[in-house]
Amino acid sequence: MNKEINKFLCPYCGDTLDSADALKSHVFKAHKGRSLPGPVGRIRLFINRAEHVFQVEPNWTLYYLIHDKLGLTGAKQFCDRGACGSCTMIVDGKPVLSCMMLAIECDGKSVETVEGIAAEGHPLIESYVNNHAMQCGYCTPGFVVTSKALLDHNPNPSEEEIVEALSGNLCRCSTYPQHPIAVREAAEKMKAAKK
Amino acid sequence: MSKHPEDQTARMLEMLDNLESDKYQLKEYKFIGEKIPRRIDGLAKASGQADYTMDIQLPGMLYMRLLMSPYPHAKILKMDTSRAEKLPGVRYVLRYDDPEVMKADIIGRVAGFFGLDQPLPGAAHMEGELVGAAVAAETEDIAEEALSLIEIEWEERPFMLDPVKASEPGAPLTFPERYIDGNHWNRGTYDELLHGDMKKGFAEADKVVEFSFKRTANTWVGPERPCGVWKWNGDCPEIWLKHQRIHLPKSRISEWFGGIAMSKIEIHSPYQGASFGGWSQIDWNLGPLWCAALVSKRVGRPVKYIFNRREDFFGGSMDEGTYFVKVGFKNDGTITAVDATLYHVNAIWPVFSPSLHLHDNTRITNIRGHSKSVWVNKGHTVPTRCEMLPAVLTQTLVLDRVAAELGMDPTELALKNDGAMGHDMEWVNEEKKKRGFPVRDSLKECIDQGKAAIKWDEKWHKPGARKLPNGRMHGIGFTWAHEWSDSLGSGEFAIRIERTDGTAALLGMGADNGVDADGTYCQIAADELGFRLEDVNYNPHVYRGFYRMTPDSSTNMSVNGWAVRHAARILKQKILEAATSPSSATQRGSFQPAFPDTKPEDLDISDSVIFSKLDPDRKMSMADFVRLAGAGGPFADDEFLGTRLGWSEPLFASSYHVQYGKHNPVNPRPCFCRQAHFMEIEVDTETGEIFVTNVVNVNDVGKVINRLSCEGQQYGGSIMGVSRAKFEEIVHDPVTGVMLNGNLLDYKIATMKDLGPIGTILVETGMGYGPYGLIGIGEDIGTVVPGLLAPAVYNAIGKWIYDFPITPAKILQALGKA
Repeated sequence: MNKEINKFLCPYCGDTLDSADALKSHVFKAHKGRSLPGPVGRIRLFINRAEHVFQVEPNWTLYYLIHDKLGLTGAKQFCDRGACGSCTMIVDGKPVLSCMMLAIECDGKSVETVEGIAAEGHPLIESYVNNHAMQCGYCTPGFVVTSKALLDHNPNPSEEEIVEALSGNLCRCSTYPQHPIAVREAAEKMKAAKK
Repeated sequence: MSKHPEDQTARMLEMLDNLESDKYQLKEYKFIGEKIPRRIDGLAKASGQADYTMDIQLPGMLYMRLLMSPYPHAKILKMDTSRAEKLPGVRYVLRYDDPEVMKADIIGRVAGFFGLDQPLPGAAHMEGELVGAAVAAETEDIAEEALSLIEIEWEERPFMLDPVKASEPGAPLTFPERYIDGNHWNRGTYDELLHGDMKKGFAEADKVVEFSFKRTANTWVGPERPCGVWKWNGDCPEIWLKHQRIHLPKSRISEWFGGIAMSKIEIHSPYQGASFGGWSQIDWNLGPLWCAALVSKRVGRPVKYIFNRREDFFGGSMDEGTYFVKVGFKNDGTITAVDATLYHVNAIWPVFSPSLHLHDNTRITNIRGHSKSVWVNKGHTVPTRCEMLPAVLTQTLVLDRVAAELGMDPTELALKNDGAMGHDMEWVNEEKKKRGFPVRDSLKECIDQGKAAIKWDEKWHKPGARKLPNGRMHGIGFTWAHEWSDSLGSGEFAIRIERTDGTAALLGMGADNGVDADGTYCQIAADELGFRLEDVNYNPHVYRGFYRMTPDSSTNMSVNGWAVRHAARILKQKILEAATSPSSATQRGSFQPAFPDTKPEDLDISDSVIFSKLDPDRKMSMADFVRLAGAGGPFADDEFLGTRLGWSEPLFASSYHVQYGKHNPVNPRPCFCRQAHFMEIEVDTETGEIFVTNVVNVNDVGKVINRLSCEGQQYGGSIMGVSRAKFEEIVHDPVTGVMLNGNLLDYKIATMKDLGPIGTILVETGMGYGPYGLIGIGEDIGTVVPGLLAPAVYNAIGKWIYDFPITPAKILQALGKA
């Protein structure tokens, strides 16, 4: 018989013990009172305010999890190395490139995607449509999410601040001039709604 | 053909191959020409709900990746795929020497020019070519890993990267499987004496100048990478494909596997991350689709193939090449002769010579152009934004060079040489009259408006003469061309009136490339039918069997616009006839018309309401008109209640348009509408950096249909143009032939910070051959603007830099600082 099969693995710390009794006394001694840990790779995310639990592989990116596994396909992959901004999501209030972040790092974090921003009726959606701040549309969700993160932190951004915030987002159709107009329009609407 | 003056079918046929002005324009427009507040695709795109082929996942779908050649020119001698086959998660490894692959001959060709020799070749003619093996696995990562486990014995061959050197006698063959006696593609060699007598032209000149320029490899950078999904439903394929010319792959697919009936092929064209022509001009990416189809058949699961970002860089824009120009001119600015030669790199579609735009646009009496398609060990080059790139680059550099040699204002030189096909403006104006157009001076109108907007008269100066307070040198440049919409081909459209609410659904399959063409077709249909805009809708993504003209960028409105208009007019005629005639006799008699005792010509439609022109109180909404079919659907169930109301026949019309444009050999149509572009820059002579501070685009689009969309092509094209001129270059290692910067960190494209303001001015002379006097705009600006950087730089530093992109290093070199 393979000797390894006679080993008993501690679910708390990974130590191996020689018998069931030895494991039992090890657990009582070293880990008494603690609840059993979950399996490796299980993460809890608050995606667009709703709690989700996933079992993820260690090499999955946040983009892959949300786009391919969850099926929220708004975030897009334009480049493949954090150069384009099309996969931007808001993680714990900050815009991040979801293709550059491992899903397993996100346990307990909140994630906002373009779908969530649209579902809550954010004025950016309408101002993007009205101002043709899109052409082929592939990079558009990344711009919308980055703009939302900007407005969350700075509800009244100047044109320079908008350009600075969005300068990491690439648009090959080159719709660039329309974005500051759309973001300003959304900011004005939000201001009016507060009054 | 009916002789009735209002017969819409007769009018449609009359307007085919439009060589004259649109005789039957609407008297008033409600939506055409307006700033339409909502894009038809806007909400889906902004909210992330627009599906692209990259987003498609089907139950049980496998992912396919293909092997890339590590050498620029090599043949596979031996290949061992056993380790790849054993990797867990790998479901199939397709090899180049599979009997079915070997016998699959040419699987596609474009316009009779060129197709793939094999879907999965055994020899590579550029580094990165997809050859040898295709792996289908449960995930993309597994497929990728499996590729790395394939062991190959290669026969390396000599390679060439420079088109001029590759043209020399005795140069190593770059593609011996195809070109056995030199690196030229004979069908790609053009020697066009466009008109005149070259010897005479140069003899008449006061001065003759010769120069050469170079455009290095650059590419489209489509945001969505090439990809496709194949699923077999029995013997019927269902396909999702990123492709701009969706009817081409469908017709190719019908030839595969011994033939598949076109009517069995269901093809989806989801939204697509822009192509700018790109891969869609050639069928190179159909090789992987063919492999996906075969593997899907063998494994019994849907298969998706995906290019990676680097693989998208293995095709480029067809302005790449080395150009040689000789130009003769008189001291008053009259150009007497132009002779241009282009060594064209891997042009898969070298349809024109570099002198074509000078022929189209000017009165220059002697013009010759020569282009030689040379094959080197790099990717194919194809129309990217437009195949006119070499011609407009040549026009800009020739005209601006002549103006500089004479110290003349280039806008004056433009007006002095403006014309068409070697004729002066007097002849051109006669042609306008003959063809029923208004006689306006389009170039002068464009130049006047552009000069005023950029303050040209205050700002233009002698080269290298204006230093700014910030220490940089100021430069300003100008170029121009005609607008174009002259792709030859045909477009089809149909419109159906829905039951229950009477809204109109446009039917036509094409690819959305972002120009909001779909919304614009709705504007035309709404105005023509007399419907509210919200009552006209269009979903182009699903198979409907009517194929739009492609490339649908500059020809959206000039070809498909006609088809929509014809269909709408024929349909409106049908609606009014149905409203006034008893229809569908049953065994219990006919249904009474909605407007009894009325003639169709006494009715009209406005705001989706049919009304009597004689008695406007007699009216009925489209919804009520079709609702008379019955609340339960398209049948008259009111009869159960003992009443007989009405019923209308299914309301549907299809139409089409065909044009040869200026390629018509019998009566080639001269180009009347012009565009003018102005660019202001600052050059830092210490670092060589160029700052583009201001661009003004003036486009005579004949007639504006969708204003925001036109402006989008202006600023979008300008930014892409400046990006190409300043930054973009695919670099190959001369020692290994390997591409060095096939990613978006090392291949720079413009960001939001790279340009100053862009002025967009639209001129409407009504001199386009499209419906309502319009002409295309989609391809034009992004194609014309790149060349404009050279005259702007010349104006700033007094040096011509004839090597695109114009990088800081080249500026410093020109200034003798590097």
